[in-house]
Amino acid sequence: MSAVAQGLAYDLTGLTVPVIALFAFILPLLQKFVKHRLFPGVYAMVVTLFAAVSATTIYSHVASTGKPIVYGFGGWPPPLGIAYEVDGFNALLGMYASWLIVGIVIFSLWYNRNLDEPEWYYTLLLGFEVGALGCFYTGDVFNLFVMIEVLAVSTYGLIAYHKNNPGSVEAAIKYAIIGATATTIYFIGLMIIYGAYGTLNMGDILSRNIRLFGLIEVGLAGTAFIAVATLAVSLSLWVFTFKAGLFPNHFWLPDAYCEAPTPVSAALSGVSEIVGVYAAIRFLYTIFPAFSPIGYAYRGVVLAVLLVLGFLGGVVGALMMFVQRDIKRLLAYSSVSHIGLLFLASAISFMPVSEEVVVIAFTAVLAHIIAHGVGKLLLFASSEIFIEAAGTKILDDMRGIGRKYPLVSMALIAGFLNLMGAIPFLGFFSKLLMYQAYMAAGQVLPAIAIVVVSALSIPGYAKAIYSLVLSAPVKEFNGIRVGAYKYFLVLLAAILLAAGIAFTHLYACIGSLVDSSLTFKGLVNYGQAFLEARHVLWGG
Amino acid sequence: MIDPVTYMLTLIILCMVVNLGIALYGIFFRPSLVKKIIAVTILGDTANTFAIMLGYRRWLSPEKPSIPPVLLNYANATKEALAEFSARAVDPLPQALVLTAIVIGLAVTLFLVFLTLQIHRLYGTTDVREIRKLRG
Repeated sequence: MSAVAQGLAYDLTGLTVPVIALFAFILPLLQKFVKHRLFPGVYAMVVTLFAAVSATTIYSHVASTGKPIVYGFGGWPPPLGIAYEVDGFNALLGMYASWLIVGIVIFSLWYNRNLDEPEWYYTLLLGFEVGALGCFYTGDVFNLFVMIEVLAVSTYGLIAYHKNNPGSVEAAIKYAIIGATATTIYFIGLMIIYGAYGTLNMGDILSRNIRLFGLIEVGLAGTAFIAVATLAVSLSLWVFTFKAGLFPNHFWLPDAYCEAPTPVSAALSGVSEIVGVYAAIRFLYTIFPAFSPIGYAYRGVVLAVLLVLGFLGGVVGALMMFVQRDIKRLLAYSSVSHIGLLFLASAISFMPVSEEVVVIAFTAVLAHIIAHGVGKLLLFASSEIFIEAAGTKILDDMRGIGRKYPLVSMALIAGFLNLMGAIPFLGFFSKLLMYQAYMAAGQVLPAIAIVVVSALSIPGYAKAIYSLVLSAPVKEFNGIRVGAYKYFLVLLAAILLAAGIAFTHLYACIGSLVDSSLTFKGLVNYGQAFLEARHVLWGG
Repeated sequence: MIDPVTYMLTLIILCMVVNLGIALYGIFFRPSLVKKIIAVTILGDTANTFAIMLGYRRWLSPEKPSIPPVLLNYANATKEALAEFSARAVDPLPQALVLTAIVIGLAVTLFLVFLTLQIHRLYGTTDVREIRKLRG
């Protein structure tokens, strides 16, 4: 790895998020000069492509060296200023999210005719990307709070985008009031962390936690720290599970998905929910790992609770999916089910497990995040074609609409098969790995739970495929011209298929990233990168 | 004899706990959207007060209160003066964080108020029970 590439990756770590924010805010101004309707979409396309390329650069650097990048803003040594810390886990998620947002912008360009003031839509969408990438890359718990708020405010705006539609505004306010409450509770949790640890930097909290663990072990530090850390983590986790839409915090989700513009529904399920999953994993596996004051008892309990909630969410989502009449609501409940699966798998170390098992479980989680996100983008994009062609979102009135669009239907079926977990799509292998992780850990019940959730969700997907494609048309549809856009859908389906076929390669890739970030070795890596950055920025 | 600082501190913490309860009650159980928004701001202010109070953890005794985190005679400060300063000065970081939180709170509140206004325009009411009924 040359010094130039290293410098580039380092600079881009700090540059990407502020640059997107800058471009987001000058868009409404530029629209005053360039009046073309497609301009904001193309502009957003360029900016998101920049973000995707830069996230890929960061990823390839982190993946090739196996060492986290720490960027101290303003040249302040880490615990003093805000720092971004990118290790293998969030580098992959950042790359995934930025490419998915490129796909969402392509989808939005197709959806453009339904947007009455596109410049505001794309400003919010770029704001959404700022929030998402900021949440993924940040190495500072307070900056995480700010970025969650940036993400949240953009999301509320995007959900309420069709502001004269009563349903949209209602869904947005339902999400926004509880969202504002949850983030404020997180702020209180942060203040407790600051009061106890005197720092807000993730790497610094981690190294203090490990030291405290040792001190408590030999009886030099009081158990007061256990109580404080327990309180702080409890207060923090609500906002993450709320953002992720983990049962029972999923109450906002079906309405929001149903009433938001369809590209935004895809963005919510592929990116915004994943931020919640990511932050929960970051808190319980990196900042407060097993070697921290909460590692004695509370961490096991909270992971066990997440496991049970994940299972319940998976079952509730799968069952509710079957009774839905609205295609977007069906996809929303499918998201609830998949988020349940993700939490089910990431709760792997509720009992002490070996490092290999952790690696398998998080490889499964990351692969499932990709399979779910790309699959949902594909499904929302192809069902939007059917919704516009049929003029309705109700499945019974859309019967057989897919027969008019054979290629789109093929892509749609591929997307559903992927979520269902059919061979040889990526979704099958990720679910298989989740099962395998629990079997390797000797936990049979959670392994069975994964199979149960997958099996229960099959009727829901089958119902959607049957109504949209297989059943005979009951009436004449107006039809719309799809054009070259259908190849985008075919491409997404092909990605899922190719990722499934080449899964052994993908497994090796993701496995080595997880091995260098979420295991004990990963913790040492994370802490060491923080110390090195502090050393360098203090002036060597 | 209880000393006045401990007394005031206990009183403030008690008030914050009560405020927290009132705010959560307002958010979850009051039907009016406007009252829900007021409750959200109360919750935010309670969190901010808590954060500001954290900055005063170096208040050693009633005779030695915290001092502002500004070193006046920086040029010819003695070692003892610096040690005294770092032992007693108020921690300015929570205040900076609160400033950020207030700005974010302003943006979120404005957005919530706009949504409530829009709901009032579309439904003619801000009562969540009525809205649920109107949707059917």
